[in-house]
Amino acid sequence: MSAQPQGFQQRAAQALSDENLQRSIGSLKGGFVAARARAVSALPEFEAMREAGRAIKDHTLDNLDYYLTRYEAEVVRRGGHVHWASDAQDACRIIRDICARVGAKTVTKGKSMVSEEIGLNDALEADGLEVIETDAGEYIVQLAKEAPSHIVMPTIHKTTSQIASLFHEHHRQYGFEHHVEDPAELIGQVRSVLRGKFFAADVGITGANFLVAETGSNVIVTNEGNGDLTSTLARVHIVTAGIEKVVPTLNDTSVLLRLLARSALGMDVTSYVTYSTGPRREGDLDGPEEYHVVLVDNGRTKMLEGAYRPMLRCIRCGACMNHCPVYLSVGGHAYGWVYPGPMGAVLTPMIAGHEKAQELPHACTLNGRCQQVCPVKIPLPDMLRHLRHDQWEEGFIRGKARWGIDAWAWLATRPKLYHAVTRTLVGIGALLGRSSGRFRRLPLASGWTTGRDMPAPQGTTFHAAWAKSKKQG
Amino acid sequence: MGRDKILQRIRSALGESHASEHDRALLDARMDQRPSGPKVALGAERMSQFLTKVIANNFTVERLASQQLLVSAVRALMPDDETPDISVAKAIQSLGWPADWKINYGPGRHVERLCVTQALAGIAETGSVVVASAPDNPTTLNFLPDMHVIVLRAEDVVDHPEDVWARMALENWPRAVNVISGPSRTADVGGIIVRPAHGPKRVHLIVIDA
Repeated sequence: MSAQPQGFQQRAAQALSDENLQRSIGSLKGGFVAARARAVSALPEFEAMREAGRAIKDHTLDNLDYYLTRYEAEVVRRGGHVHWASDAQDACRIIRDICARVGAKTVTKGKSMVSEEIGLNDALEADGLEVIETDAGEYIVQLAKEAPSHIVMPTIHKTTSQIASLFHEHHRQYGFEHHVEDPAELIGQVRSVLRGKFFAADVGITGANFLVAETGSNVIVTNEGNGDLTSTLARVHIVTAGIEKVVPTLNDTSVLLRLLARSALGMDVTSYVTYSTGPRREGDLDGPEEYHVVLVDNGRTKMLEGAYRPMLRCIRCGACMNHCPVYLSVGGHAYGWVYPGPMGAVLTPMIAGHEKAQELPHACTLNGRCQQVCPVKIPLPDMLRHLRHDQWEEGFIRGKARWGIDAWAWLATRPKLYHAVTRTLVGIGALLGRSSGRFRRLPLASGWTTGRDMPAPQGTTFHAAWAKSKKQG
Repeated sequence: MGRDKILQRIRSALGESHASEHDRALLDARMDQRPSGPKVALGAERMSQFLTKVIANNFTVERLASQQLLVSAVRALMPDDETPDISVAKAIQSLGWPADWKINYGPGRHVERLCVTQALAGIAETGSVVVASAPDNPTTLNFLPDMHVIVLRAEDVVDHPEDVWARMALENWPRAVNVISGPSRTADVGGIIVRPAHGPKRVHLIVIDA
């Protein structure tokens, strides 16, 4: 999909008045958030695990070239191929070339956020290939020609009856004539339609939750089993993964998997965790004839350079968005690209560029809940503040906003003047707002007051109140 | 060449912190030592926690005193009036399967009512069963059937996934290692949990005590 992260404000405004969307994202609070809280409180070791997870990812990133080359050597030793892609275009070209060489017509896909990031489906379809997403949620958004709105629950924005209508339209060709709304029947249709596709596939593409340097394996975590049918039944298995997905050993994956299932779903474990390593072995009755891994940089080495390195710890659990008041108000599509919520507000500008994602780092209240729940302790609010600073330095903040911030900086760095001005404004505000205690309209602040009232100040500044309370002891 | 360009970018991004020869020896040592992180303490004795957890994960479970009882246990999972038409991993071919059953010892087929495969290990921490691919244990049998029957020896139940890795030889690391913790499911329609999605609707675990 092409990146459209500009226009956040407009999409957010639409999302706020979309009742279906509000109902479905509201269910996240009772669902994942409560389940995660239960899973974490049942586990006294959880904090120690977060620290261990952070340490594993940091250690790997600090020695990324070592672990990637170790990983590559293991893949090759076991008969697989490793390809390195500098950017999205490179990655798509490598995969298109493999598909062309093996004469592929049908491509099945397990869930892969990186493949969305590089726009793989469009690239393959442009070559005339039939591309089928096999995760039920991804299949639904593909039929609807939409993007996933959550990295773990891609269909969180869709109601059952919307899905029922979609299937009624698309599944007639497979003999499903009737409109049904029962989730079990709808999933039964997906199972039946896709079973044939798994067997017909020439190429199966999956992502990787982890790459293991010790064995040259890619690890996928699923509940449906679609990833395994994709990787086992196709003639050729291609793994797409960001370069940050590598970890040293199998034991390291066990630490991170404990964090992942609890943070993503509030569960101890998912139905399937699969370690796939190379093509079918001598004597094997199934498994792919060829095994390829495409390691994708696409902005990641840039993140590795400095302040944004901790973002590369991300294990894509979605806990940050489940706990984000902005995501929970506007949903995933408002963010305009594949990665929504706090992690997306950092990743999108880093991968797609500041010019395409100016508004995202500002769609944040800096309340810090994302950092508190992050299984690998990514300081997301710091990253977002840092992005705002970079946008300023690089001149992406212009016009009224730049003028306003300039004026504020000028005032805030002159303490005497600052105190005098704030004292005066707070005094006037308290006087004008004394009858109702709030303002329905304020000059230069319609962005605030069209949605809600602005409380009137109490008559004294924070500094003055602080000084007074200290004096009183 | 993408490879060299990316490795060069990584090395320049890491700058001074980039691994020296001395560090490389430390990194090699970490790979050999395979340090393990914090684990989840077991709440009960190993086998009892394992059985509690697999049931919580929606497996059905049965214990058999000997593998000689396996064929009749599998028979009991199917309707009496049907001639069984199933797939069995060659790893357990020699258990005396009746000659009048239709048995496929090959890879999984398009429609599979019931498949039987051999487990490598059970994990008490999470109530998971580990099935590894081999010429006599095809992976597709784990994912295609309506009912997946897994045969596990009681002595192969361990505490944690790390204990499984410690028992496996890296040199002969299998092509596919499937850690299975219940039937296939999804909540992608309306947030309602539906079983199955693409894989088995039922996973029946047979634990052999001797």
